[in-house]
Amino acid sequence: MADLRIKIGKMLWKNPVTVASGTFGLEFAELFDLSKLGAIVTKTITLLPKPGNEPPRLAETEAGLLNSIGLQNPGLENFIKNDLPEYQKFDTNIIVSISGSSITEFSKVIKNLDKQPNIDGYEINISCPNVENEGIAFGIDKGIVYNLISHLRKITERTIIVKLTPNVTSIEEIAKAAEKGGADVLSLINTVYGMAIDIETRKSKTKNVIAGYSGIGIKPIAIQNVFRVAKVVKIPIIGMGGIRNISDALEFIIAGSSAIAVGTQNFVNPFATLDIIQGLEKYLNEQKIHYHDLIGSVR
Amino acid sequence: MPYKLLPIFKKELINNKYFIITFSDYEMADQCHPGQFFRLKNPQQNFPILPRPFSVNNIQDKQTSFLIKIVGESTKNLFETKIGENISLHGPLGNGFKIARNKKVLIVSGGIGYAPFPFLLKKLEKAKDEIVFFHGGKSSDDIFSANVINFTEDGSVGKKGLVTDGVEQFLQKNQVDIVYACGPQIMLKKLTEICKQFNVDLQVSLETIMACGIGVCCGCAIRIVENGKMVYKKVCKDGPVFDGYTVVWDE
Ligand SMILES: Cc1cc2nc3c(=O)[nH]c(=O)nc-3n(C[C@H](O)[C@H](O)[C@H](O)COP(=O)(O)OP(=O)(O)OC[C@H]3O[C@@H](n4cnc5c(N)ncnc54)[C@H](O)[C@@H]3O)c2cc1C
Ligand SMILES: Cc1cc2nc3c(=O)[nH]c(=O)nc-3n(C[C@H](O)[C@H](O)[C@H](O)COP(=O)(O)O)c2cc1C
Ligand code: FES
Repeated sequence: MADLRIKIGKMLWKNPVTVASGTFGLEFAELFDLSKLGAIVTKTITLLPKPGNEPPRLAETEAGLLNSIGLQNPGLENFIKNDLPEYQKFDTNIIVSISGSSITEFSKVIKNLDKQPNIDGYEINISCPNVENEGIAFGIDKGIVYNLISHLRKITERTIIVKLTPNVTSIEEIAKAAEKGGADVLSLINTVYGMAIDIETRKSKTKNVIAGYSGIGIKPIAIQNVFRVAKVVKIPIIGMGGIRNISDALEFIIAGSSAIAVGTQNFVNPFATLDIIQGLEKYLNEQKIHYHDLIGSVR
Repeated sequence: MPYKLLPIFKKELINNKYFIITFSDYEMADQCHPGQFFRLKNPQQNFPILPRPFSVNNIQDKQTSFLIKIVGESTKNLFETKIGENISLHGPLGNGFKIARNKKVLIVSGGIGYAPFPFLLKKLEKAKDEIVFFHGGKSSDDIFSANVINFTEDGSVGKKGLVTDGVEQFLQKNQVDIVYACGPQIMLKKLTEICKQFNVDLQVSLETIMACGIGVCCGCAIRIVENGKMVYKKVCKDGPVFDGYTVVWDE
């Protein structure tokens, strides 16, 4: 049997397959044993509860999904009380995705979570507006990314994953800033800005006019981002964006991802992650190649 | 909520733009409650991407059926999938209707909003309710049964006019304990105003676009008034059935 184990930051994963934040939850435990995953990434949580954006929040397009959920979440305290104990029951790495509107807010969340056992890493969602810098997204300025990550690095020993947005001029610059700041891992990509219009009403199909585009339509965009980032950083990459099956996953791995995450496809085939784990074993056996040698092996 | 691949057992076109699709599975039939829904998709079809939600229309002889209106690609594709071919079914999902016992009940449906009621009707009959069923459509194409009181906008079948006008007249003369309703937002909104005048309990089944169907993505949010405050609820998990008086209707 092929060895699928891999070190991701300070964590050891039993296989390189996880889920994309916001597209997965404990509800899936009714369908399969979540311990089979290399890691579970939670929905993004913030210090205080967030009600989310006004509906409608979803629109399906020709080749993907638009969403403007607005980071709806129960807040740190409720998460620790209600959700975390449930996640901790699974024999896998638990990664908590967090967001905030200031460095102070991010710090408070991590300080609190660091007191909780059985959390293996944090994924820092930097696609959100930063109130300290006129509301521009953290993730689009390399100086802000460096400041944020180097600050968080001093607070926690646990694995820090920085999740990159593709909506920037140079993703390499942001990736390097995160690595320099002390990130252990990068994950990419978050959703691509998108919009769809109802031609009868002439309104945007989502109430929040600009939405986040995900699913198969963004796969080539994501792969080229992984490819570019892999060339300029030494830390591992968790690749995502439109992955539906083993062949999609393999493209990401060959482009330079050490692990992959399934997002929108969880809504279509909730067993997609399991299918990919199986497919990966089969591929490695057939090709007689070690997993580590496959990563970034694009010719 | 299991996820199953089942072959289409039966399929029947109705009035040219609707069809009933039936699956035979004992376990599934036993789990369903009226007002719950399933997410259906032909796994061979890549686009549209998401499985789409459909209410349980009826359970008969351990067979589960769905009444579907052909409105776009997914519904067209489900219709064109042949008997014996597999469909993925995820469900039953959602809360469903609360069954009243020994009560005077009025069912009100508009168009494809008829879908969940044949199954509910069965359970209400078992619960010894006294039932009146009003259904409205644009024309005879939108009428599904001669055993209910039908309204059409063009007068081609039943009474001419809107089903809500019929309800208002009915409530003026008859005492009713509870109304169950499903249909277009505009009908449900009007019905809420009417029921309020007569102080009748109201359960409405709502529709939104859904991605996950199980409460994960928060994509199906609607506005509900809870303890005097507006909050977002998930149609897939907290609903699709809500107390009509708590819903904040779109303008
Ligand atoms: C709880 C619930 C129960 C439903 N029960 C029934 C039923 O019993 N019978 C029936 O015919 N229809 C039912 N619907 C509506 C049905 O889901 C849509 O008609 C269907 O998704 C349309 O798909 P399409 O590809 O054919 O059309 P599309 O071209 O995709 O869209 C046509 C319309 O369908 C709606 N729609 C689009 N995407 C979605 C989505 N992802 N989820 C939900 N609605 C969407 C939109 O209002 C859109 O304008 C129900 C919806 C919900 C939420
Ligand atoms: C409904 C929905 C909700 C999401 N919520 C979050 C979130 O809370 N935090 C986050 O970092 N990314 C979120 N994302 C982005 C995904 O994690 C992922 O980066 C993106 O969807 C690309 O992957 P995919 O094409 O496989 O879905 C969300 C995506 C979707 C579709
Ligand atoms: S459809 Fe995902 S939460 Fe309701």
